[in-house]
Amino acid sequence: MNEQEREKWYAFEHQKYGIPIEYLKREFEKELSGQVPMDQPLEIPDKMEVIYKYSYGQQSRFFRELRENKKIYGAKCPQCSKVYCPPRAHCSLCYQPTEWVPLTGTGVIKTFTVQYISTSAFIKKVPFVCAYVQLDGTDFLLMANMEVEDVARIRVGTKVKAVFREERQGTITDFYFEPYE
Amino acid sequence: MRKVGIVGMGTTKFKARWVDKTYYELAFDAARMAMEDAGLSRLDIDCAVYGIYNDLFQRQYQPDAFVHDYLGLGLKPMVRVNSGGATGGAALRIGYAEVASGLYDICLVLGVEKCADCYNYEFQSATPEVLRAILYTADMTYDNPAGRTAASGFALAVIAHREKYGNPTDEQMAKVSVKNHFNATKNPIAQSPKVLTVEEVLNSKKIVEPFRFYDNCLYTEGSSAVILASEEVARKISPKPVWITGVGASTDYVIPGNRPNIHTFESSRLAAQKAYGMAGLTHPLEDLDLAELHDAFTGTEIMAYEDCFFCEEGQGGRLIDEGVVMAGGKLPVNLSGGLIGCGHAVGATGIMQTYEVALQLRGEAGERQVENARRGLVQSIGGTLCTWTVCLVLEREG
Ligand SMILES: [Zn+2]
Repeated sequence: MNEQEREKWYAFEHQKYGIPIEYLKREFEKELSGQVPMDQPLEIPDKMEVIYKYSYGQQSRFFRELRENKKIYGAKCPQCSKVYCPPRAHCSLCYQPTEWVPLTGTGVIKTFTVQYISTSAFIKKVPFVCAYVQLDGTDFLLMANMEVEDVARIRVGTKVKAVFREERQGTITDFYFEPYE
Repeated sequence: MRKVGIVGMGTTKFKARWVDKTYYELAFDAARMAMEDAGLSRLDIDCAVYGIYNDLFQRQYQPDAFVHDYLGLGLKPMVRVNSGGATGGAALRIGYAEVASGLYDICLVLGVEKCADCYNYEFQSATPEVLRAILYTADMTYDNPAGRTAASGFALAVIAHREKYGNPTDEQMAKVSVKNHFNATKNPIAQSPKVLTVEEVLNSKKIVEPFRFYDNCLYTEGSSAVILASEEVARKISPKPVWITGVGASTDYVIPGNRPNIHTFESSRLAAQKAYGMAGLTHPLEDLDLAELHDAFTGTEIMAYEDCFFCEEGQGGRLIDEGVVMAGGKLPVNLSGGLIGCGHAVGATGIMQTYEVALQLRGEAGERQVENARRGLVQSIGGTLCTWTVCLVLEREG
């Protein structure tokens, strides 16, 4: 490819995949200048992407309560009295339809870890804490993102409370946990 | 049920990236080796089972169909198995069932995985994008948005185990890393052969509390294959078939928050129990000559000693301290190097470890050969905090 064709190729790939042109140049300058022998493996960018409109189904109220009322609800089985959070429409143990119960948003850490490396979507947040929290009044554990200045403060047994974000989208990340005494 | 034997096997090298091969080209290499080893051609294969984990890694949904076509096995039945990290073991279990049931006589079980086609241009690295592709495995509504990774999932269990029993300690985990990296120096297919010290492991950077860099397996590309045959056919075509005498499998709740315990892997305990029962094995530490366990992380290998009943619950750390699981020990674990030394080519991993045990039982493991090995265990675990476990007991005759 001549210089002009190369520039066009970079612009095209940049537009198609959102990869900054400088990164593309760094990766493909040699290839596109024809310096790589014909029989060498050829690499090119690609991306897999699908857009959704998905339903929370019978868990919908849980997410509306988060978004509209800053409230965490659990789902209680009328037969065995187990309380689920994350909620479920039916008790997995006795198959009864569950009932909504409001929770206080306080709980205790059952186990935790600190992440120093993460996925591309989260890598700029490290180090951060992931924990399994048992919310007071529930029988199961909730995977929780913690926001805490000093990750060394966190222990198994640390008491935590839910804090709601100013802007809420109706997702589980509308709240996070903070330690409290 | 019919007796089932391994009559052929092959594996590619496990490498950080096979830039010169596509996933079906890698599969072709492993399949060809296995067929040559068995003295069979593609025409002799009755059916195939493929272990392939992540469609995003392969950049292809239903990648099994493309492997099958590339191997020239069109017009023959096949099925794909996907059980996360346990995919290899789970594929073997289905292959076993295909033959044991009498439905087919000769079954190709093949695992293959690419991963480093996932690539993050900004970080000039595959890793964060690979982790992202894996995170779609976590529950999409509640767990994925928390930014958990495969490593942090298992770290949660190791921390809970430590809280209850005081181990595995950092030093014990480091010893597992030293052992598996060193074992890999004797395995020509391994990605990460290394002579390390405990101090070097302890000084490597923290990845996820309590795991440091050397506590983790590496993502790998590779393919492994075995050919299974019914007893009658196996005896005709193979001079030394390796018999699968125990198969155990279980699952645990995929939402770990719903489990009664998070300090132990219940699916592993149930799978081992079932495999031992079927093989008629009562004292694993005495009855087994070697084991290939799923050491995605050093801490989980130590938990696996307990889950496979090599010791009492909470005693796993002792086995590495006392050298029981070292090469030359009473029950060497991961002589291949395991996932930490060889790398983790997810769909292929359990099949590679089965290849290792079968090679040992055939007496062909070269420098890492266990003297007079008669019986070995393969454990494959996978999914969010060990949702799946498959255990296989392999035996040679005589
Ligand atoms: Zn119930």
